[in-house]
Amino acid sequence: MVDAASTTATTGSGAYAEAQVSADALGRGEPAWLVRSREEAARAFAATPMPTPALRPWKYTELSGLDIESFAPDAAFAPLVIASVPTGGFAGSIAGALDDAAQAGAVEAAFGSVVQGTEGKFVAANAARWSGGVFVHALRGGVFATPVTVDVRAGGGAIFPRMLVIAEANSEVTIIVRNRSTAAPLLVAGVVEIVAAEGARVRLLLDGDWGAATDEFTTVRSRVGRNADVQVASLAIGGHMQKQHIEALIEGEGANSLIRGIALGDGDQHFDFVTLQDHMGAKSTSDVEIKSALAGASRSVYYGVTRVETTAKGAAANQQNRNLLLSDHAKADSDPVLEILTSDVIRCGHGATVGPVDGEALFYLQSRGLDRRSALKLLVAGFFASVLGDAAFAALADDMQERVERKLAVAAL
Amino acid sequence: MSKTSEPILEIRDLKVSITDKPAIQIIKGIDLMIRAGEVHTIMGPNGSGKSTLASTIAGSPVYTVDSGEIRYKGCDITHAKADERARDGVFLSFQYPTVIPGVTMVNFMREALKARRGAEVPAREFLGELRETLAQLKMGEEFARRYVNDGFSGGEKKRAEILQMGLLKPDLAILDETDSGLDVDALRTVAEGVNALRRPEMGILLITHYERILNYIHPDFVHILVAGRIVRSGDASLAQEIEAEGYDPILKALGLLEGAAAS
Repeated sequence: MVDAASTTATTGSGAYAEAQVSADALGRGEPAWLVRSREEAARAFAATPMPTPALRPWKYTELSGLDIESFAPDAAFAPLVIASVPTGGFAGSIAGALDDAAQAGAVEAAFGSVVQGTEGKFVAANAARWSGGVFVHALRGGVFATPVTVDVRAGGGAIFPRMLVIAEANSEVTIIVRNRSTAAPLLVAGVVEIVAAEGARVRLLLDGDWGAATDEFTTVRSRVGRNADVQVASLAIGGHMQKQHIEALIEGEGANSLIRGIALGDGDQHFDFVTLQDHMGAKSTSDVEIKSALAGASRSVYYGVTRVETTAKGAAANQQNRNLLLSDHAKADSDPVLEILTSDVIRCGHGATVGPVDGEALFYLQSRGLDRRSALKLLVAGFFASVLGDAAFAALADDMQERVERKLAVAAL
Repeated sequence: MSKTSEPILEIRDLKVSITDKPAIQIIKGIDLMIRAGEVHTIMGPNGSGKSTLASTIAGSPVYTVDSGEIRYKGCDITHAKADERARDGVFLSFQYPTVIPGVTMVNFMREALKARRGAEVPAREFLGELRETLAQLKMGEEFARRYVNDGFSGGEKKRAEILQMGLLKPDLAILDETDSGLDVDALRTVAEGVNALRRPEMGILLITHYERILNYIHPDFVHILVAGRIVRSGDASLAQEIEAEGYDPILKALGLLEGAAAS
């Protein structure tokens, strides 16, 4: 579905133009601060060029054929939120929260405070055009007994998913986002902001099983307070392209950030993870592990930065990226970076590997009667085991193993 | 072990080189016949081609058959894939079993048994057979929950190989230096396991550097492999001769002992 009126991109016309963004926001009766935020983002969107490979996080991601404005926003897009909410908390649409006197102030205070609406092309598109935004709010000490599930189901065009999570002190919440779309061309530009106060525990699981013609660009950023623990796990299995920036601003003393990613590629799929572990708090900890297994002519890219600021004395960080090539045409680029600005760190490890399946292991399995595909399936399951077995993925683990297996049953190996 | 039993393995004038280095021929013409119920031992000094022969019979892609033929139960398997041979009942106990992180022994063995039988094996039946075989090898059940060969001691690796042999019930078992790296107690456990799991219809090719294991597994035939050729064949007394005198007299007789030629 191409919006013919929006094809004259550079002039900032069509659905992404400030005037249209403003009119649509007023039409929905949004508060003045939000209308202004959208207008500001629309101006940033018009002024910001598409990212090019000259920008380090975009080095291996070819976007020259992509014209955001040729995708008509699906204004009716809204995911289904299912939650059992503890007293005083909230899980539902941002629009609903803005109508709720007990929540509106919290949304206004935190929205856009973690990811500025002006900071990049896709983020600006989101901040200008988002719809169906989700707000999750756990009050001080509040515990969501069961995971909040966010079901995203999209058709063609463009959707701009938005989520704001506020976890007050010593609260706990787990959120599972299930991303699904049809086979129609779809552009997804998403933003997730997480604010975790002292001692809060937040778990976010992204289950990316998009349709074959979906290109996703998402930024997930958390602010992790004193002794808070934020875990983000992403499964990239569907879609044509998934590019996710998963970032943690580890501000509080003793704060912890954990990031896990699994990508299983086939055909011409492109999976691209960018991570940031920005340590500011003393004795803060972080751990990143991203694993990709790639069949067909699929591709994975990893670029991650571990930064330990001068204030982060006694910090400990680990960053690992492993890529398993299941075919001669698959490709992986990996670039973990350490920026250590204090000499007082406990440990800072990083590692990256790209390589084909171990021929000896393959022969070992085949010498026991497993055909090549069965042997590769077992090796991939073993490769993912360290991440799949992680508590961060616990809510999805069984279902994920099944889907990994189903995909490998037909993948070009 | 009757002279009239069916041949399990027949090797005729086999020549084998390294796939990546075709100029290097390791096996330079071997003939061998193993009948059901027989135990054949191949002994030889380091580098004589023992492991190459074992891997080639199992179908390792590391080696290429230049000429000759390998027949298994009457069929030419010279160019069959490793997994086809295994499903037909060829089993190689590896000298250095491969570590496969993240894959549990139990999952691996269930997949292997499914492949060997050509059908899904009901969980109860599988676990019953697994427990029984573990007990025969004096292995605890927790063993099955560990990742394949991951962190196994030398003895555990070899026992895990024999465990797989016991479950897969091959008709040809090639034991490649199953005795190496084992202390006396571990050697006895593994060898007794092999004996317990032997079946009359199975042929065994036992590859070893030392005579030690033959105290437990008694060979019907002993072949001495030197520089890619079987230079002598005999009965168990040949192994005792090697134990007593080493390989030097044989190498000297063949003019292959460089040090001896100079002295």
